[in-house]
Amino acid sequence: MAGGTVTIDQLVRWLSRFDALMAENRSYLTELDSAIGDADHGSNMARGMTAVMEKIGATPSTAVDELFKQVGMTLVTSVGGASGPLYGTFFLRFGSTAGPVAELDAGALAASLRAGLGGILARGKAELGDKTMFDAMSPAVDALDAEIAAGADIATATAGAAAAAVAGRDATEPLVARKGRASYLGDRSAGHLDPGATSTAFLFQALAEAVA
Amino acid sequence: MIGVVVVSHSPALAHAAVDLALQMVPGEKPAIAIAAGAGEGLIGTDATAVSAAIDEVASPDGVLVIMDLGSAVMSAEMALDFRSSEAEVRLSSAPFVEGILAAVVTAAGGASLDDVDREARGALEPKISMLGDAPAPEAPVPEVTTSGATASGAETAPAGLSAELTIVNPDGLHARPAATLVSTLAGFDAKLTVVNTRSGTGPVAANSLIGLLSLGAKSGDVLTVAASGAQAAEALARVTELVTEGFGEV
Repeated sequence: MAGGTVTIDQLVRWLSRFDALMAENRSYLTELDSAIGDADHGSNMARGMTAVMEKIGATPSTAVDELFKQVGMTLVTSVGGASGPLYGTFFLRFGSTAGPVAELDAGALAASLRAGLGGILARGKAELGDKTMFDAMSPAVDALDAEIAAGADIATATAGAAAAAVAGRDATEPLVARKGRASYLGDRSAGHLDPGATSTAFLFQALAEAVA
Repeated sequence: MIGVVVVSHSPALAHAAVDLALQMVPGEKPAIAIAAGAGEGLIGTDATAVSAAIDEVASPDGVLVIMDLGSAVMSAEMALDFRSSEAEVRLSSAPFVEGILAAVVTAAGGASLDDVDREARGALEPKISMLGDAPAPEAPVPEVTTSGATASGAETAPAGLSAELTIVNPDGLHARPAATLVSTLAGFDAKLTVVNTRSGTGPVAANSLIGLLSLGAKSGDVLTVAASGAQAAEALARVTELVTEGFGEV
């Protein structure tokens, strides 16, 4: 059948997989950030997701909103850089939109991701092409919506979202940054992948792997 | 008195900037809370720390938040969602060091949130003016230049009391004596304006730190101070005393 559901266990697996990808790619993300930023994206995200896994391991949630409130607040207090409020807002909005439920159907997953994207937009005020995480997340959420509208199941839809996030990430390479610390570099920010768009591509890769 | 929150990536930077500002305020100080660093010695900002700082200094008169860059701004915005106090909170686009200094001095004088924010945001003007990057600024406190006077400088003092006072401090009317003047005037029901007769700069409001600094008054410059309001005479007498005595510096 079209759709299907994502259980809270699968959502925890999403976070766990994202944590692992942040740990594995910590040096890579920091290297990207050292080219155009302050060289802390990898360590910030790895530290933040380690704190998230500790928190949700210590006080497991049975409701999606409660789970993601913990995730969001933990990132806000432990990341340090702009990714803290940005990913924090993403997960807080994701959770509050999902509500006090134990699983999400395809429509609820799409709505929650869309709300998270809206949170990033409200917080970061970025536009497409500013060379930010929004450049990976926006096409990913659009792709997921399109797959679901076409009747795809959640595994297919999240795989499509992950592919779109990678394409969005790659498209940041030639761009000149217009937001964040990279924007101070002007034209010198071109020719590098955006670190935030890169971690966002991992976020959607983790989701696709968790529900596959 | 409003509360001031200082948000920085670096605790060392925040504490040093606040110390620099507090040097200017010998008497009563506004409540100041610092939210800096991401914990455990890490450079960064934390929105929950910012919201706790806002709640700590929340006053019915309001809270002004001054931030350094990047995630400090985003964390301060997010803190507005988390705070529990209901005081009015303003996130200021003021420059960090000069803005904190202007905000602390102006807040100590009992100014409103609007006035403190405006002073803080205008805090680069004296430096811009001193380095000649722009024409001498318009008086940053427009409501006190009621006689239609602008920074044309050719204007003489408006009707009322006035005095011509010579700056005797070797370093001129620099930040510390200017701050003393602002805090002294906080107790008077009077409006005073100041013109630097040498450069023609002003009139500026005498209760504006930034306005006073933008006069660029050096030792030997003659200031025309005009006063109006219920306590004009008393205020002018106190200012005359302060300037003549070199603000206690000489």
